[in-house]
Amino acid sequence: MGIQVQKISKKFGTYTALDHVDLQVPSGELVALLGPSGSGKTTLLRIIAGLETPDAGSIHFDGEETTQRKVRERQVGFVFQHYALFRHMTVFDNIAFGLTVKPKTERPDKARIRRRVNELLQLIQLDNMANRYPAQLSGGQRQRVALARALATEPKVLLLDEPFGALDAKVRQELRRWLRNLHDEIHVTSVFVTHDQEEALEVADRVVVMNQAKIEQVGTPEQVYDHPASPFVFSFLGHVNLFHCRSGDHPAGAIASPTRVEGRSIGYVRPGDIRISRSAATSEDYPAEIVFIQGAGALPRVELRRLDNGETVHADLPREKYRQLGLQIGEKVFIRPTNMRIFVPDYQI
Amino acid sequence: MVNIKQHRVLPGFGLAMGFTLLYLSLIVLIPLSSLLFKTASLSWADFWGTVASPRVLASFRLTFGAALVAALVNSVFGLLVAWVLVRYKIPGKRLIDALVDLPFALPTAVAGITLAGLYSSNGWIGRFIEPLGIKIAYTPLGIMVAMTFIGLPFVVRTVQPVLEDLEKELEEAAACLGANRRQTFMRIILPAVIPALLTGFSLAFARGIGEYGSVIFIAGNMPMVSEITPLLIITKLEQYDYAGATAIATVMLLFSFLILLSINLIQWRARRHAER
Amino acid sequence: MTTQTLSQPSGALTEPRAVRWLLTGLALAFLALFLLVPLVAVFVQALEKGVETYWAAIIEPDAVAAIRLTLIAAAISVPLNLVFGIAAAWAITKFKFRGKAFLITLLDLPFSVSPVISGFIYVLVFGLQGWLGPWLKAHDLQLIFAVPGIVLATIFVTFPLVARELIPLMQAQGTEEEEAALVLGASGWQIFSRVTLPNVIWGVLYGVILCNARAMGEFGAVSVVSGHIRGLTNTLPLHVEILYNEYNFVAAFAVATLLALLAILTLAAKALLEKKVRQEVKATVKPLGME
Repeated sequence: MGIQVQKISKKFGTYTALDHVDLQVPSGELVALLGPSGSGKTTLLRIIAGLETPDAGSIHFDGEETTQRKVRERQVGFVFQHYALFRHMTVFDNIAFGLTVKPKTERPDKARIRRRVNELLQLIQLDNMANRYPAQLSGGQRQRVALARALATEPKVLLLDEPFGALDAKVRQELRRWLRNLHDEIHVTSVFVTHDQEEALEVADRVVVMNQAKIEQVGTPEQVYDHPASPFVFSFLGHVNLFHCRSGDHPAGAIASPTRVEGRSIGYVRPGDIRISRSAATSEDYPAEIVFIQGAGALPRVELRRLDNGETVHADLPREKYRQLGLQIGEKVFIRPTNMRIFVPDYQI
Repeated sequence: MVNIKQHRVLPGFGLAMGFTLLYLSLIVLIPLSSLLFKTASLSWADFWGTVASPRVLASFRLTFGAALVAALVNSVFGLLVAWVLVRYKIPGKRLIDALVDLPFALPTAVAGITLAGLYSSNGWIGRFIEPLGIKIAYTPLGIMVAMTFIGLPFVVRTVQPVLEDLEKELEEAAACLGANRRQTFMRIILPAVIPALLTGFSLAFARGIGEYGSVIFIAGNMPMVSEITPLLIITKLEQYDYAGATAIATVMLLFSFLILLSINLIQWRARRHAER
Repeated sequence: MTTQTLSQPSGALTEPRAVRWLLTGLALAFLALFLLVPLVAVFVQALEKGVETYWAAIIEPDAVAAIRLTLIAAAISVPLNLVFGIAAAWAITKFKFRGKAFLITLLDLPFSVSPVISGFIYVLVFGLQGWLGPWLKAHDLQLIFAVPGIVLATIFVTFPLVARELIPLMQAQGTEEEEAALVLGASGWQIFSRVTLPNVIWGVLYGVILCNARAMGEFGAVSVVSGHIRGLTNTLPLHVEILYNEYNFVAAFAVATLLALLAILTLAAKALLEKKVRQEVKATVKPLGME
C-alpha cells in the first residue's frame, strides 16, 4: 500500500516540527526518513501512524484519506524506539496481543493465533524464547519481538522509529541486514526513522533527507549520496570539505556543478574525492602542507592545510595509494578535487 | 484553567477528565467554597471582632509558635535521620525506615492519648522529667512534642530521596580538590539538600498548624494558655457560633494556602535551578 | 545509595568513626523516644489490667458498633477515591493539556486543610444552618451528625491518596506501551485493563492501603461532623476519645491497639509494596544496550 503525505504541518507550541511536508511512499518500498534530531522525522512517522494529529494537511493510504481515521483502524504496524514491549506479558503474549484484541467476530481462534505466533517466532529466530519476559531478553531480541508483534496483525504499512538506535554497533549491523532481507521476503510498505546516514544508505530503497521541519531531498541511496540536492544533504551524508575556489577561477574540470558561479563560491568535496600528488599537473592543483596523518583504518586519512588560503582539507586515500606515496607530516604536496559540487548561494549580499 | 479541546490519540480523556473535575468539585471545591461564601457574608466588624479577640489571638500565637518550633526541631532531626538512613550501614535499617512513617499511619487520636500518657506526671517519660521542674503534658511544651511527632516523616521523606540521588562524584571531586568533610558537607551537600529541607519544613509546619487529634489530649486546652486554634473552631461550633468558627477557619485556611504556595515556589525554583 | 559502613572508613569521603557513631546514636535515640516508645506504650497500657479486661473493652457493644461504622466509612470512601485516583492519574499522565500543574495542586488541597476545617465545611454545606440545611430538613434527611456526614468527611481527607501515588508512577512509565497497544488495535478498555493496569497494580494497591489507613484512622474531620452519638455515629478513633475522656484509660488503649495494629500492618505493607512500586518504575527505564 502506498502512502501519500500532503502538505502536513505540525507545531508543538511555538516549535515547528513539520512545515508543509509532501511525500510519496510507493507501495512495497522500504523508505528511510533520515535527518538530525529535531528535524521532524519522528513526528512525521507518528502522524502517518495516527499517534499525532497534524495541524494541517492530509495523509492518504492508496489514495484513501486516513487523516481522520483512528489509530486502531489504520492497520499500521509500529515499532517504537524503545520497543514498548508489554513488560508484564511473555514474548508469546506480546506477539499475540494484536490478534487477541480484535473484536470477537474477526478474532482468529486460539489455535490459529498460536500458529501465527509460532510462525513469527520462527521468522525472528526466537522460537525457544516464547515464555520469556521482555526483561529477560537482550536488546536485539527485544527489537525482533517488537517487530514480530507489529507484523502479527499483517499490517499494510510498517513504521519503525529509530529501530536500531538503542543497540550497540555490532548488533545493529546484523539487524540491519536482517531487516533488509525480511523486507525482501514480505514486501510490506515500510518507513523507518534514523539519524544514522550509513544505516539509511545501506538498508533503504529510498532515502528521505529531512532538516528543520522540511524535506531536503528524496532519492535512492546513490542519488542522495552522489547527487545531493543541497549543502545540508551533502554535509549530512558523510564527511565533506568546504573548498573555496579562487576568485574568477574555473573550478576543476570534473565538476558536477549545475552553474558556474563567478566570484566567491564554495565547493563541496568528499574526502575520497581529493587527489594528492607531489607535482602540480594542472592549474587546478592547489599547494598544501600535510598537517596530520591517521594511517590506521580502512581508508587512511590525511589532514592538509592549503597554502593559498590556510583552509583545512581532509583527504581519504586508498591504502595502496597511501603506501605508494609515503607521505610525511610537514611535507608540501598538491591536492586536486576530482569531484566537486557547487551550490549557488542565496544572493542576499 | 483546564483546556480541553484538540483531538487526542489515546482514548478516555474526556471521561477521565470529566469525572476528575466533577468529583473534585463535588468533594473539595464546592464544600471549600462554602467557607469563602460564609466569610463573605460576615461584616468586617464581626470578622475582626472574632479574629482579633484576645483568646483567638492567643491561640494563633500558640499554634503557629508551637508548629514553628516543632518544624525546626524536625528539620534538624529529620535531616539527621535521613542522613543516617541513607549514608550509614546500621542493623535493622529497613525496620527503622518503615518506623519513620508511623506518624502517617498511626491514627492521630491514638498518638494523642499515648503521648499524653507518656508525658503526664506519672507517665514513662514524664516521671523522669517532672522532678527536673519541667512539665510537658498539658502545657505548650506538650503541644510542641505532639507536633514534632506528627511532622517528622515530612522532613525525612522529602530529604531522603535527594540525599540518595546525590552524585557521589561531587563529593569525590570536592575531596580531591582538598575540601575536608565539613567543607564538603557545608558547601556541596547542604546546598543540594536545602530546597528539599525547606519543603519538608513547610509541610511539617503546615501539618502542625492544622493538627488536631494528636495535640488536644496532651494540650490541656486552657484558654489563653494551651488552647490551639483548631480546638477553638470546634468550641465555637459547639456553641453554634458558625460566624466565629468561619472567621477563624478562614484565617487558618489562608495560612495553609500561603504555605502551599511557598512550597510550590520552592520546588519550582529548585527544578528551574536543576534544569539550568 | 552509598555503601559506606561503620566499620569501613574511607578517608575524606565519610566522617570520622566517632562522628558517625554519634550521629547514628542521636538519630536512633530521637526515633526511639518519639516513635518507638509511644508505639510500645499503646500495647503496654492496653494490657495493663490483663487480657480479659482488654478483650472485654473490645467486644463491648459500643466498641463493636464503632468498628462496624469505621469499616463502613472505609468501604465506601476507599473504592470511590480509588476510581477517582485512577481517572485523575489517567487524565493527567497520559495526556497533555494546559493547567495540568494547577490541577495537580488542586488535588492536594485536602492535605493542606486542617482536619477540623475539613469537617467544618461539610457542616456549612449540609448542616442545619448550611446551604442545603433547610432543604434537607424539609425532606427529613440528616447528613451531619449522622453516618453520611462521617463518610463524606472521610472521603474528603483521603481524597488525594490514590491519585498522588499513581501520578508519579504512571508519569515515569510514559505512554509508549499504551500507544503500542493502540496501534495494535486495542480498544480503550483493552488498553487500560491489559496494559496500563497490570503495570501499575502495585502502585494501586499501595495507594489503597494508605487511603484505607487514613480512612479508618481519621479523627479531626470526623469528630466535627459526627455528633459523638455512642453506638450510632462513633467511629473507632472517636470511641477512643470518649473512653479516654471518661478516664477509662485501659479500655481506651485497648481499642487504640486495634488502630495501632492497623498502623503496623499498613507500615509493613508499605515497606513491601514500596519495593514493588520502585520495580514497576525501574522496569520502564530501558536498561539494555542503551548508549
